[in-house]
Amino acid sequence: MRWKPLLAALGTAALLAAIPLLQRALGFSVYYLVFLYFIFFWVAQATSWNLFSGYAGMFSFGQVAFLGTGVYTVAILIMRYGWSLPAALPVAAALAGLLAFTVGWIVFRLRSLRGELFSLFTLVVGIGGGYVANSTPWIDGGQGIALTRVGYPALFESMTEYLYYLGLGTAVLAVSVAAAIQYSRLGRGLFAIHDDERVAEGLGVPTFRYKLTAFTINGLLAGLSGGIHAVQMNYVAVDSVFTLHFSLYAILMSVLGGTRHWMGPILGALVIHSLSDRLASAGFSELQQVITGSTLVIIILFMRDGIYGRLRDRLQPTLVLMAVTALVQWLALRPVDGLTLLTITVFVALAMLLLPPAVYDRVAAAWRPRFSSGSGMGSAL
Amino acid sequence: MKRGNLIHLLIIVVVTLGVTLGIWGAALAQDVTPIRVGSTLALTGGLAATGKIHQIAGTEFVKLLNERGGLLGRPVEWVLLDDEGTGDKAAAGYERLITAERVDLLVGPYGTAATVAAQGVADRYGYVLPFPAQSLTYNNVYDRQFMAWPTGLDTHISTPGIIFDAYLNTPNPPKTVAFVVSRFPSAQFLVYGRDGVGGAIRVAEEKGLQVVLDISYDLGTTDFTAIALRIRQADPDLLFVGALGEDGPNLMAAMAQLGYRPRGQFYLWPSPGPMLEAGPLAEGATSITAFENNAAYLRNHGAPEFVERFVRAAKEAGLPYTDPEIQAASQWAAWQILVAGVEGCQCLDQAGIAEYIQNNTIPTVFGDLTFDRNQNNVPPDIQAVKQIQNGQWVVVYPDRWAVEGSQLIYPSR
Amino acid sequence: MWDTALSLIQTAIAGVLTGGLYTIISLALSLSWGVLRVINLAHFGLVVLAAYMTYQLTQFGNWNPFVTVLATFPIFLLVGMGLQYFFLRFRIETTPSLLVTFGLFLILENVMKMIWTADFRRISFAKNPYFVSSISVGPLVLPLLLLLVFVVAVVLAVAFHLLFKKTHVGRALRAITQDPAVATAFGVDYERLALAFGGLATATAAVAGVFVGMIYALYPSAAEPWIGISFAVTIMGGLGNPLGALGAGVIIGLVEAMTQRVADPSVARLVSLVLLAIVLLVRPSGLFRPLVPEQ
Repeated sequence: MRWKPLLAALGTAALLAAIPLLQRALGFSVYYLVFLYFIFFWVAQATSWNLFSGYAGMFSFGQVAFLGTGVYTVAILIMRYGWSLPAALPVAAALAGLLAFTVGWIVFRLRSLRGELFSLFTLVVGIGGGYVANSTPWIDGGQGIALTRVGYPALFESMTEYLYYLGLGTAVLAVSVAAAIQYSRLGRGLFAIHDDERVAEGLGVPTFRYKLTAFTINGLLAGLSGGIHAVQMNYVAVDSVFTLHFSLYAILMSVLGGTRHWMGPILGALVIHSLSDRLASAGFSELQQVITGSTLVIIILFMRDGIYGRLRDRLQPTLVLMAVTALVQWLALRPVDGLTLLTITVFVALAMLLLPPAVYDRVAAAWRPRFSSGSGMGSAL
Repeated sequence: MKRGNLIHLLIIVVVTLGVTLGIWGAALAQDVTPIRVGSTLALTGGLAATGKIHQIAGTEFVKLLNERGGLLGRPVEWVLLDDEGTGDKAAAGYERLITAERVDLLVGPYGTAATVAAQGVADRYGYVLPFPAQSLTYNNVYDRQFMAWPTGLDTHISTPGIIFDAYLNTPNPPKTVAFVVSRFPSAQFLVYGRDGVGGAIRVAEEKGLQVVLDISYDLGTTDFTAIALRIRQADPDLLFVGALGEDGPNLMAAMAQLGYRPRGQFYLWPSPGPMLEAGPLAEGATSITAFENNAAYLRNHGAPEFVERFVRAAKEAGLPYTDPEIQAASQWAAWQILVAGVEGCQCLDQAGIAEYIQNNTIPTVFGDLTFDRNQNNVPPDIQAVKQIQNGQWVVVYPDRWAVEGSQLIYPSR
Repeated sequence: MWDTALSLIQTAIAGVLTGGLYTIISLALSLSWGVLRVINLAHFGLVVLAAYMTYQLTQFGNWNPFVTVLATFPIFLLVGMGLQYFFLRFRIETTPSLLVTFGLFLILENVMKMIWTADFRRISFAKNPYFVSSISVGPLVLPLLLLLVFVVAVVLAVAFHLLFKKTHVGRALRAITQDPAVATAFGVDYERLALAFGGLATATAAVAGVFVGMIYALYPSAAEPWIGISFAVTIMGGLGNPLGALGAGVIIGLVEAMTQRVADPSVARLVSLVLLAIVLLVRPSGLFRPLVPEQ
């Protein structure tokens, strides 16, 4: 069990929990809370997707079905039956988990649905969910559901704060679960399935049980996170909920970050969302989608393992570079708002990680010629 | 270093620099101007054609306002974001406008989803939100929102009433009606009502019409062949289409392919331009409106200059259809409401502005509007029916808004 | 009684003819998946792009819409070869190809949005009189464009079928699908064949685009509703089986049309998805035989 990354993550979570309190005291823009909420949301979505699809190597395109179930459950329970949000959330998670369980139970029994056919089937479930919601008046039927006047506990200063903590909590939960799975027998089994399912079965891994478990957890977490998101969205309609966008971004973030480690989706969510937020706010939403699409292509072509591995190897130089970038922006270019500063810093770090190993080693060696035993570049002699 | 890797490195450096400078540039290009009004609009996406009309109307209003000395003596800047016509992007957009851009005032977006989402955000932060239109009137529960388009709270009862009365007032009125409805939320609400009450179908039955068909289709449908077949089979006296955007021309073409032409056809909220472009197929088609370029409406406050400036701007923008109509007018009226509120209370305080609007009659291009909280701040229904006659939209009913001497022509063949 | 029967037949005919359109749109997906093992999601975007080109040439260049295919076919042939080269060079197949082409699809959609904006674009009735033309056969009405699209679908399906079964090239293609190593050992030039075939498959997008441009109003995300249907046609028809794709297209079109008679059109769209789900669960190799039976 690798303690260091886990401790770092928990420490970060504690820091993040303090931010709203800082906001109350210092009075900086509430927008930071909104931005961070979205990061938490995507971390939860990408992580929940990754702990099955990434670990086991069976790419589900149906994430949006779980999200949508969570969203609509909360919307219906709150607006039509007067439930409170804390009461509705477990139900949302449970229903999404049930959907995952059902689909998984049917599909995993069939050996014939491996690989891309599995992806296709989950794609169908995702798209179909939208049609069902649209055609069923009891669910949506076309009029959508507006979440008006949802209450929040007096402990929090605003709904924004409430959502922030709910989102943070869910993200921490998702990451903890993913990490726990990764280092457990379940995780080892899933990785074995990733490498070769038939061999794994031969070795005695209970593939059906493991896949079903992980897939159900995927559904549960995605539903929970989706339920919270319903309140953020304010108005829930099939068009904005059941889009391919949600499935695609969850996949992209995990693949970019690295699918074999719980840290991957976090990195991916941070990079993709900050970039898309800044570009969208500057009015470049089409360009942002082009960049997103290009990123997916580039990652699949050149870095199928994602950036996590490289981050670990190049950690210190990357952190130094990030600090320098942030400092330069802070000093040289006023006024620059915090989010832009963050995005550029992240982007520069990304560039550093995208350098192919040969180039990086060269640059690193040139930077530190004093050290005779280079880390991995010793063979330059 | 190998040449390939060098090029690789160069590309990465150049791209990084480029993106970095781009993002910096975007972040820095933010002016510091006195009064900032924030909105989102469907600038891209499926509703963009109408979104653009709203953008032009709003831009012209602000220009005119600034020419006349601005608001409270200060120039006005419109901060506009793209919500792509969806609720979640509108919610995110308004949240950004309020918290990151820190705008002073808000004007609502276009489209039901975006507007309802925006209301939730405005509610969260206490901002006044005047907006063009949102026909799920039962959702307008926030007390500081104000709707410009005068449909009345019970629009699912009053509006079909106006439409059917127009047809029943003709010498040879229709007896049967078919309903073909888009799955757009407000269209569904208008035709099917809510909780078993209202809706065009029930209103039609109450007025003695027989319903011979009732089907819904997905937003964005472009192939109406199957629906046209069913309409032809039902052969109604009046075809009532809960249409948006391009649905009208698409359906008319599908019916034409089958050699069928309805005796009467009504289209709920079509894009006005494409309807005219459909030529002879659309002759006799009717729709609902609250503003047209005729003498009756030009008497309203601000109407003449609205018409003049919008037409000019629309021509410059190369819009295919430059006549100002309900969509543009609703955006203009929303601004009129905001300005009246600010000038009335001589302040930028949200509570003060809301109170002024609530307690006073606001003159707009639609006429004088009043806001009653018991009616969810939706002004009473004063809409009219317009018809395509000789390739032009003509208001035909009721007399208050109709063109002198015009009549609803029914049946069409 | 006779009226009902007549309208039933009318509906059935409309459904079958529409199936032809589904076939043309799905053909490239089936062929590239079945033969080249590439699941090309970008294909949908290419169909819309071809439709936009047809729109542009017809509306602003005053070309006859049918003639535009002479311009678009070679362009898409080249695009297809370029794409295939890209897939070969990076050894992209199946699941990774799904992801990569999804990325390409996203790029394509947004580039189209930047060029043509999100507004609906439709060839005006004046320049596209075929749209409202129909042929009457007794009391039945056959919309002209749908009829043509069906005929073209049959022609294309038969052409590819003959290519596979009767020609040297076709045999070579089947061989490389079955076992690339052995085929190469027998002297088949895999790369060149794959390039040519990839180009040809993508070029069918040009044909599909002409009809889509003439029948529908265009907007950048117009492709998205087709995704579900095309996968249904592809899987049901058997990967790489052109006649199978035709059969599947007709079946789906027919079932959808019949469903629309009794239920809402949006339920009809659910139909193709349900059919696909059932086929995937029960007989994933397809209702018809795939080009190369699974091992």
